[in-house]
Amino acid sequence: MSRLEKALHSGVFVVTSEVGPPKGTDLQGCLQEAEVLRDRVIAINVTDLQSSVMRVGSLAVCARLVERGLEPVFQLTCRDRNRLAMQSDLLSAWTLGIKNVLCLTGDHPVLGDHPEAKAVFDLDSVQLLKTVSVLNHGRDLAGHELEGAPDFFAGAVVNPGADPLELQLIKMEKKIAAGAQFFQTQAVFEPEKFARFMEKVRAYRVPVLAGIVILKSAGMARYMNKNVAGIGVPEGLIKELEATPKNQIRQKSAEIAARLIRELKEICQGVHIMPLGWADLVPEILEMAGLLEMAGAAK
Amino acid sequence: MHATIQKPLEEIIGYLGEGEKVFVLGCDNCAAKCRSGGVPETEAMARRLSEKGVKVVGWGVPGPKGVSLCKLSNTRKVFQEEYRDVLAKTDSILVLACGLGVHTVIDATSGEIGVHPGCDAIFGGEMVTDEFIAEYCRDCGECIIDYTGGLCPLALCAKGLLNGPCGGAQNGKCEVDRTQDCGWHLIYERLRAIGRLELLYRYQEPKNYAKYGAPRRLTLNGDQASFHFLGRVMNRQPVKI
Repeated sequence: MSRLEKALHSGVFVVTSEVGPPKGTDLQGCLQEAEVLRDRVIAINVTDLQSSVMRVGSLAVCARLVERGLEPVFQLTCRDRNRLAMQSDLLSAWTLGIKNVLCLTGDHPVLGDHPEAKAVFDLDSVQLLKTVSVLNHGRDLAGHELEGAPDFFAGAVVNPGADPLELQLIKMEKKIAAGAQFFQTQAVFEPEKFARFMEKVRAYRVPVLAGIVILKSAGMARYMNKNVAGIGVPEGLIKELEATPKNQIRQKSAEIAARLIRELKEICQGVHIMPLGWADLVPEILEMAGLLEMAGAAK
Repeated sequence: MHATIQKPLEEIIGYLGEGEKVFVLGCDNCAAKCRSGGVPETEAMARRLSEKGVKVVGWGVPGPKGVSLCKLSNTRKVFQEEYRDVLAKTDSILVLACGLGVHTVIDATSGEIGVHPGCDAIFGGEMVTDEFIAEYCRDCGECIIDYTGGLCPLALCAKGLLNGPCGGAQNGKCEVDRTQDCGWHLIYERLRAIGRLELLYRYQEPKNYAKYGAPRRLTLNGDQASFHFLGRVMNRQPVKI
């Protein structure tokens, strides 16, 4: 059983974070970011060609984290691989000591740096979750028996700000039926609105980690409001960032994130912090949120 | 219908060898409707190529009116009768039609003569109006649209997702392009309108992409229609002839 699974079962407030592999073979910066998160978070997601930009794969960085005694969450998208490659990568991941997998659709290649690439999507995220379940039961998608089966702790994502929400909730239910054992969400900035979402999904009895994006500037907040589905950074927060002198902005960013986390503590089972390059702020954020001595944190 | 659009003139000229004589051939069905290979477009292409110094020996759009170039029996007859002299006087044929038209010309001319594509075939579409043709079917070989209110997620969702929308849709618009409708939003609205929202809860298995693979064939033999992929029969249907 992975540490993440154990922690979520134990009922402690769980913190995960993430790193993004680099474009190129120099992993130093990426591994340093992961190192900063040691003992602070339970598991570290490794993104899979985030924003459809070609880079080092999630699998390789996950393996390097395992070597270092850090617990990765292997993000796997449906964008680039057919069902043979997806199953193969999942089996490979297990042999490398990777126990958590987050199943995502993936951004469209048109949005990335190789817009002419073929969009694969042989499976969708629901089918991918089902694939993980099938592998966990010792078979492949074609029904063949495996010599040695994995036992992944599989997660999925949900967008609490999606409109219409009903459509998103139906998909969430399908993901749970297909084997999703935990959820990480799109960035949350409005705890009250998020609480209403949690009311709706409580009956599913699947742990939800609310997404926390560290706001680096008012401009970034405005950009996300305009371009990222389901994100609503309240005007008050944007004003707060605007009124902050440049040399104090990191402090303010950390404060805002910590405040959100404190408010979310009573609402959901944990948070997933997306530092977007500011991983070094995470320990401070957790301290301000009163979570530094977190039970079960990755050792 | 097969939607087509003409290739850029420079690309077409690039296909032609030095001094190559060419005959421009249109299609009076789909390409005519797309205004890429009807009578006016075929004549115009012949003229534009001539103006660029290409040796155009003639042009034509085989009849009868509205016939598809991809109907081999008709195209073959046209080449045997009406266009008998064309093959003698040209080095190649530039086809203003989809790839099916190009292949039909290869078959109709017994493969003796060069054939160039003048159009890109872009999709199979519904002629919504004379000015608007839209893709609603991908010819995937395995129709699932009864579960989606008759709207195909493969054709309407940029990612071809079968079990609901991705997380990127916003206000009913697609993550990839905010001016486009999210296909799953359209499906949701449609199922709501016909009182079948419960269908959204159904798990859709991964598609059988063998039915979407190439080459595919349809054979009609006696009392049976058969759909083949490579050497395998994927589906059979009884036929009353």
